[in-house]
Amino acid sequence: MIADFQERYAKRHELAKRWKKEGKRIFGYFCGYAPEELIDAAGIIPVRILGSLDKVTLADSHLQSFICAFGRSCLDQGLKGTYNYLDGMVTSKTCDIMRNMPGIWSRNIEIPFVGYIGAPAKRTKAARECLIEEFKVLRSKLEEFIGKSIDDDSINQSIETYNESRKLLKELYEIRGKDNSPLSGSDFYHVVRAGFVTPKKEYNKMLSSLKSELISSKSSKDGKVRFLVSGSTFEDVNILKMIEEVGGSIVADDLCIGSRYFWDLVEPASDPIRSLADRYQMRIACPCKHPSEERMERILEEVKKHRVEGVISIVQKYCDTHLFEYPYMKDVLQKNDIPFLYLETEDRLGEEGQFKTRVQAFIEMLR
Amino acid sequence: MSDKKPEKKKRLKTAEKLGKLMADYYTESAMVKAQKKPVAWLSSVAPVEVCYTMDVFPIYPENYGTMCAARKLSAEFCAAAEAKGFSTDLCSYALNNLGSIYLNKGPFMGQGLPEPDLLIATEHACLSMAKWWEELSRHFNVPLYIVDAALPVGEDLSPHHINYFAEQLRELMGFVEEHTGNKFDMDKFKEVLGYSDEASKLFLEIGALRKTVPSPISPIEIFTNMFPIVTLAGKKEAVEFYNELYDEISELAKRKEAAVPNEKYRLLWDLFPIWYNLNLFKYIEEKGGVVVADVYATTFGGRVDISRPFEGLAERYVGNPLLSYGVQQKTELYKQMIKEYHVDGVVFHSNRSCRMASMGQYDVKQGIYEDIGIPGAIFESDFVDPRSYSDEQVKDTLDSFFEILESRG
Ligand code: SF4
Ligand code: SF4
Repeated sequence: MIADFQERYAKRHELAKRWKKEGKRIFGYFCGYAPEELIDAAGIIPVRILGSLDKVTLADSHLQSFICAFGRSCLDQGLKGTYNYLDGMVTSKTCDIMRNMPGIWSRNIEIPFVGYIGAPAKRTKAARECLIEEFKVLRSKLEEFIGKSIDDDSINQSIETYNESRKLLKELYEIRGKDNSPLSGSDFYHVVRAGFVTPKKEYNKMLSSLKSELISSKSSKDGKVRFLVSGSTFEDVNILKMIEEVGGSIVADDLCIGSRYFWDLVEPASDPIRSLADRYQMRIACPCKHPSEERMERILEEVKKHRVEGVISIVQKYCDTHLFEYPYMKDVLQKNDIPFLYLETEDRLGEEGQFKTRVQAFIEMLR
Repeated sequence: MSDKKPEKKKRLKTAEKLGKLMADYYTESAMVKAQKKPVAWLSSVAPVEVCYTMDVFPIYPENYGTMCAARKLSAEFCAAAEAKGFSTDLCSYALNNLGSIYLNKGPFMGQGLPEPDLLIATEHACLSMAKWWEELSRHFNVPLYIVDAALPVGEDLSPHHINYFAEQLRELMGFVEEHTGNKFDMDKFKEVLGYSDEASKLFLEIGALRKTVPSPISPIEIFTNMFPIVTLAGKKEAVEFYNELYDEISELAKRKEAAVPNEKYRLLWDLFPIWYNLNLFKYIEEKGGVVVADVYATTFGGRVDISRPFEGLAERYVGNPLLSYGVQQKTELYKQMIKEYHVDGVVFHSNRSCRMASMGQYDVKQGIYEDIGIPGAIFESDFVDPRSYSDEQVKDTLDSFFEILESRG
């Protein structure tokens, strides 16, 4: 079953091209702060643009080496034509890389529609009002683009579909955290990632059948050290696999390609734009947002709830906001006597087995 | 590192006055604690007018970062921050500042800055700022107010962008009231805004005098003369100073007196100076190049519509091209500046510390060249942390650039 999810992701460009032939429109988005429901309500399929493990060649003449591997890889794929099927993109202000990306992308790669959400970083009421306005602007731009209006009903329907997805993912997240769970952390990563490139209705069906399959099966995670994994995006699932191979088990996460993406549901209310703004503003904060206490509190809660024995932080090199928050996180964990390991990646596991040695040593220490 | 010391003798008459303004400010900063006056630390592009309205003494760690760099202290400070777990790849303004705090050292009489009672930071220059200031708030255990901006990229500002910022400025006044006991007074606020606007206006006009050929003011002079607009915006002294400076520079412009002899190539500079090596400008000047335009300095001179105080002040801060322009807009802005300032070439300082400002430089350079045929050069360094600076590489890049300029005649 996990193989289905893996295949989905592996074939994502092929599938997208097929949808395209069927006359569908496709939009790309980079990060979990793009209001996908609005895109979906416009009858456009949103797909998340993620890094790739291919060598970056073309982006070198546009981006300095001190830009994160994720940003460089995304642009590189764009320049190579991998995303030529996109009719548009929607990005949201999260980090400084994402803020600059749409301008550079659209200067070099033909793309008919570019939407940018200048999302506030704060969780205040004034910030909410501002985000509502940003969403309204996006809505009317989308309406102009598709040539018809997007009514509240269709937004509400999209909200429902997306909420369904989130609920299922949360259930699977809990299954993963159980003793002897049949669902590993690396499998779960595949599951989440497939959702970025699969129309949500179809994805929900896949999630449901996975759930029923898992409920009736058992496997052994016994004797493994229970970890929470935290961090920015990374493309290489082998990082998680390696942790599992050397005796760790991933039972909870604070990942961008993980719980941060699906944790919070949209509370339906009379005005769907308001509901959406509420959700995207108050969702589990990524380090791009201010303040950062809540993120730490959630990590501590998860640690407790899932009897986590150690936290592994996997941070993308040059990712300012994650790097800035690392000493604070270390402090919070130390104060709470939670062992902690920090790994800095450039999207991938790397060859030398350095990480492996460090994770092994960490596990030894915890046993 | 550079071989020569900067010239001691100052060309401008107003230099003395500037020196005095700075000395007064720093003397006062050494005494505020004893006087029990509340001290706020401000990040770059934070609304200093709030402090002058609320009778709070403002301190700019970034300013101080440039001084630490100039006095070659930044390497030690950055290393101290790294020892606490901050990555060496982070902004060296931040690392320098945090390190100097951890070590409790600094360029003034060996001491660090007077400790803050309040912290006011923005996050529209970059996201790192918010994170850095959160750490300050934890370290000093003092309240922090982040002024956030939801800026569009590549599009015009809408009223809700202004309103969000203005709303926070109102909140901020309340925040300062709450933590200092000082009361907000609208008349005082308007007076402060009046001075701020006047200083900004003059500062922008001085910048515009660089359109004269030859340029009547050098880049080092422009950068050093930023102190009042950054630190004293809202004070009468800043207005008086810029009035005098304006008179002096416009007189030089009228007489066509060159700030730099042998002005052959007029250059546009993007973006930060290298603070520990301002002599690089001298090197450029030896080659006949003079930086006559930049967006770094002008960024600090936004106008204020005093009839709508909060919205007006918001516009001063969020209307800043440096902060909300995407590559296409920046390219257009530069093309226009190139025309107005009679620029022959563009020098881009790709600053490893500042991804926000460095990302997109290659595209801007290319865009300018494609559209109007003006060449550019990009060199890489860090603006505060000298540890991996390669003078040779930077000069190589500049040398070949001058060859190109020369071949173009
Ligand atoms: S990895 Fe970090 S710096 Fe890169 S795009 Fe993501 S949040 Fe931004
Ligand atoms: S990263 Fe750039 S904008 Fe941010 S604090 Fe550093 S120099 Fe300023």
